[in-house]
Amino acid sequence: MINAKIKKIFQNARKEALKQKVQANISYHNEKSHLMRIGNNSVSLNTSENLTRLDINVTIGKKHGSHTQMGEISSSKYVIEALKIAIDKAKNSLDLDFTPLKEVIEDNFAQDEQYDKKLENLDPAFKMESYKKIIETVGQQYNYSGSWSSGSTEHFFMTTENENSAYHIVTDQLFNIVLKHPDKKWELSSTQTGWKKSDFKAAKTIKEFQKLLPVYEGHKGFKVKPGKYTVVLGSAAIAEVMEMALWTGFYGRTYEEKRAWTSKNKAGDKILGKNITLTDDPANPDTFGFSFDMSGKKRMKFALCKDGILKGIMYDTQTAAMYKKKPTGHDIGGSSIVVGAGEGDKSLLKAVKELGTVLYIPALHYINLPNASKGIFTGSSRFNAVLIKNGKVVSPIFSSRITDNFQSVFGNVKLISSESVSFNGSNTYDRRNPVAMSVPTYMVCEKVKITDCADSF
Amino acid sequence: MNEKIRKTILDNISKSVGKKAEYVDARLVTEDYSEFVELYDGNLEENDTTFENGIGVRTLYNGAWGFAATSDLSKINECFELSLQNAKTASELVSVAITMGKKQKGLKASYESPAKKDPFNVSLKEKIEFLKGIDDNLKEDWIFKRYISATFQKKNQFFFNSEGSEIERKLTDVFATMAVMGLDNEGRMQRRTHELFTKGNGTRGWEMLVDPKLFSSHAGRVKDELAELLKAESLKYGKRSVILLPGQGWLQVHETIGHPLELDRILGYELSYAGGSFVTLDSFGKLKYGSDKLSVSAYGGFPNSPGSFGYDDDGSPERDYLMIDKGLLVNCLTSRAMINEANERAGRKIFKESGGASRSTAFYRAPIDRMTNVNILPGNDGKLKDIIASTENGIVVDNPTSWSIGSNREHFHFGCEIAWEVKNGKKTRVLKNPTYQGHTIEFYNSLTAVGDKSTWLVGQVDSCGKGEPNQAMELGHGVPVLKFENVITGEK
Ligand SMILES: [Zn+2]
Repeated sequence: MINAKIKKIFQNARKEALKQKVQANISYHNEKSHLMRIGNNSVSLNTSENLTRLDINVTIGKKHGSHTQMGEISSSKYVIEALKIAIDKAKNSLDLDFTPLKEVIEDNFAQDEQYDKKLENLDPAFKMESYKKIIETVGQQYNYSGSWSSGSTEHFFMTTENENSAYHIVTDQLFNIVLKHPDKKWELSSTQTGWKKSDFKAAKTIKEFQKLLPVYEGHKGFKVKPGKYTVVLGSAAIAEVMEMALWTGFYGRTYEEKRAWTSKNKAGDKILGKNITLTDDPANPDTFGFSFDMSGKKRMKFALCKDGILKGIMYDTQTAAMYKKKPTGHDIGGSSIVVGAGEGDKSLLKAVKELGTVLYIPALHYINLPNASKGIFTGSSRFNAVLIKNGKVVSPIFSSRITDNFQSVFGNVKLISSESVSFNGSNTYDRRNPVAMSVPTYMVCEKVKITDCADSF
Repeated sequence: MNEKIRKTILDNISKSVGKKAEYVDARLVTEDYSEFVELYDGNLEENDTTFENGIGVRTLYNGAWGFAATSDLSKINECFELSLQNAKTASELVSVAITMGKKQKGLKASYESPAKKDPFNVSLKEKIEFLKGIDDNLKEDWIFKRYISATFQKKNQFFFNSEGSEIERKLTDVFATMAVMGLDNEGRMQRRTHELFTKGNGTRGWEMLVDPKLFSSHAGRVKDELAELLKAESLKYGKRSVILLPGQGWLQVHETIGHPLELDRILGYELSYAGGSFVTLDSFGKLKYGSDKLSVSAYGGFPNSPGSFGYDDDGSPERDYLMIDKGLLVNCLTSRAMINEANERAGRKIFKESGGASRSTAFYRAPIDRMTNVNILPGNDGKLKDIIASTENGIVVDNPTSWSIGSNREHFHFGCEIAWEVKNGKKTRVLKNPTYQGHTIEFYNSLTAVGDKSTWLVGQVDSCGKGEPNQAMELGHGVPVLKFENVITGEK
C-alpha cells in the first residue's frame, strides 16, 4: 500500500487541480536500486540509489503540459507547486488538433504480488559472495565481467476524473556474468532473472558454464561465409528481434503513420509463419505484469498475432485520440509479451540432430533497422554462438552479422522449443521500470541471411 | 552555494578518509533542468520540463569503488556512509586494485559554458513560436509528417574531492532536430533530417538555436531533398567509393573510433554490456588505425560543443590531444583510475596523464570513461565538390537511419537517409535506402580524401548510452567531409 501521507498529499493536490479546473494525472515513482558491476574478476562498481520522482501531466481543453521533479514528496505545498508549473506550461502551449482522452482510473488498483522484501533489501555482500563463488568454482584463469541489478519500483497515481487510485510495487533482479577466455577471446554468458531473491542460484550459472566450457576449450573459432543458413535463435535473440518487430509492427502510432512493416496489412492478414503466436498477457508469470496502464485502464490479455495472422495493434491513449480508435491499455513502458512455444525437444542438440549444419545464435548485439517499414533488421552474434553439425557442436563462431527481415525470419520457422523462459529486457537507462518477455528457449529459422563475419569473436 | 551543505560535505569527506578511504569525491547538483518541446505535424506533443537535484558520493576503499546517491539532501551523512559501506563490500572481491595514482594538488576552479542568452530565460511561448515558424515552413501538401523539436539543458554542479578540489560548473546545452517524412513510390516512409550543429566557435545559449545558418535555413533543403527521395530508386548492392557528409561522418567516428578508444572498454570493464574493443594496450604506438589522412583529436579545444565542459568528474581539466596521428594510434579517452591500471598492465607508461574524460550524466550516476569531443581533423582535399570531382563511382551519404556495430567495434553496418550517386566526377541522381558496411581498420585505411576546414562542423550528440546503470551522455564530433574506397554498399 502507498504510504498514507503521500496518499493524503495527492488527494490535496487533486483537489487543487479540480479547483483550477484542469485535468491532471499526478504520479509518484520511487526506486530503490542497487547495482553491482564486475570487471576483470573484481567488483568494479557497487552502487545504491534511492530516487523519488513526481510526474504531473496537465490537460486544459486541447492544451497540455508536463513537469517532472526529483526529490522527496514531503508536503502538499511541494506537489501543488509542481502542479502549478505544469498548469502554467499547459496554459502557454498550443491547441492540439485532436481532443485528448480523459484518463479515468477504472478501479482502485493495488498490486503487489511480485514484491519480495528480501530482494528489495538484498545485502550487496550476497552479490559479491555469489560472484566470488562462481569465479572460484569455474576457474580464475578466465576473465569475468558482469552486472547484477536489483531493487524495487513503487508507483502510485491519481487523476482528476475520479477518486480512484492506482498502486503497484514490484521487485526485480537481473544477474549476468560474462566469461572471456584471455587468449582465445571467446565469450560465454549466463543470465538469471526474477522478482524474488530465491530466483537466483549461483549453482545454476556454475552448471551452465561447466557444461559449455569443454566445448569451447576444445575448438577454434570459425569464420562463417556470408550466405543463407539454418539459424537457431536462442531465447535472448528471439526476444531481441521480436522486440524490434513489435516496436515497428504492432504499435498504433507507427502502424497508422505507415512506418510499420505491417502498415499495408489489416487484422486477419497473414504476416508471419503459421507457428508464430504473440500475445500481451499481464498475467503471465514470466513477465512483470501490470494490471493497469499509466492512464488508468485495466490491462487484459491481448492477441497481437495468432498462428501468423495479424490480430491486434496496441493503441496508447494519445494515438487512440488522434486516430479515433479505442485505447487498448498500452500507455506503458513495457508490456507482457508472450511468444508462443512449440513442440520441439527441450534439448536443442537433439532437436537439430537431423538438420545437418546449423548456426546457434543465442543472443544478438546491437540490433537496428536499416529499413523499418520493410521489416529489415541487422545485428551480430555474441556470447555462446556455435556451429552445430548433426546435433554435435563443432566450433564457436566469430562475430557474424544477420541482415534479414522479420517476415522471412519468422516466416520460415521450422521448429520452436516446447520450453519457455523469462527474458528480462529492463534497461537501466532512466528510471527503473522492469519489463520481461516470455520466450521459447530456441527457434529454428531457415534461410536466414548471414551478411558479414569478423575475424574474431 | 549553501555554506552549511558545503561544510557537511567537507566534514563527511574527512570522516571517510579518517575511516581509511583512499579517495572520496562528491557531486552536488543544485539544479539540473531540462526542457523538451516537440511539434509533430504541428501538434505540440511534448511540452515537458524535468528538475533534478541531489548528491552522489564515490568512495575508493582498498582498491574498490562504492557509490551512493540520494535526492534527499537531508540524508547527506547517510549517503557518505552507504558509499563507504558499498566500497568496503566491493573490496572483498578485488583482483586488480583500482588506484587514482599519484595524489594531485586540489583545484579550486570553475567553468561556465559560453552562452549569451540562458534558454531557461526564454518563455515557453517564444520557444513554441520559434519552432512553429519553422514548422510552417516545412508544411507542404505532399509531405506526410513533419517533426521539429528542441531540448534545453542547464546544470549547476559542485565537485569536491579528498585532495581538496572544489570545482563549480555551469553547463548549458541546446539540441534541436527538424525532419520531414513522405511516402515513396512503394508506399514506404522516407525521411530527411537536419540537426542543429555548431562550427565549434561562438556561444551555446538560445542564440545558437535562432542562428538561421545553424538551423532554420535548412528547412528548404530538407524538403527539396525529400521530394527527390520520394521518386528515387533504391541503391543497388556493390563496391564503390563512399563519401560521408558530416551528418553521417559524426556517427561513423562515434561508433568506430570513439567507442573503441574508451580505455575502460579496452581494459574489459564494459564487456558484459556495451562490449569490448578490438584495440589492445599493445596497439598504442603500433596500430595503423587508418590511412595517413586520418588524424583524430580528443576534446579539440573548441568552446562550443556539448563535449566541452571544462573539468571532468574526476576534477581533471579537459585536455586537447591527438588519439590518432596520421593514421597511427597513439592515445585514447581516459580517466585517472584507468590510466594507472593500463600502464601497470602494459608494463610501460602509455598514458602520461588523465585525458579528462571521466564523466557522469547525473548526480545519481558514477563517472565512467566517456567521449568528450572526438574529432577528425580537417584535411587538404578541398571542398565537397572537389572530392566528388575526383570520384569515379561512388555515393555521397548523409544522416543515419540505422547503426549496428559488432561488440568489439571491429565491424559495422550503417543505414542512411539519402545517397547521391556519383559517376565520373559528377553527382547524377538521388538514391534511397542506402546502407554500407565494413571492418573498422580496413575501412579507415581506405580513407583517401579529407575535406578542408570549410567542410568541418561539429555534430551534437545528446544521448550516447553507456555503462550500467546506463548513462545517456552529451558530446560532440568535429568532422569534415570524408571519402572511403572500395566499400560494400547496399544489400544483396
Ligand atoms: Zn555512443
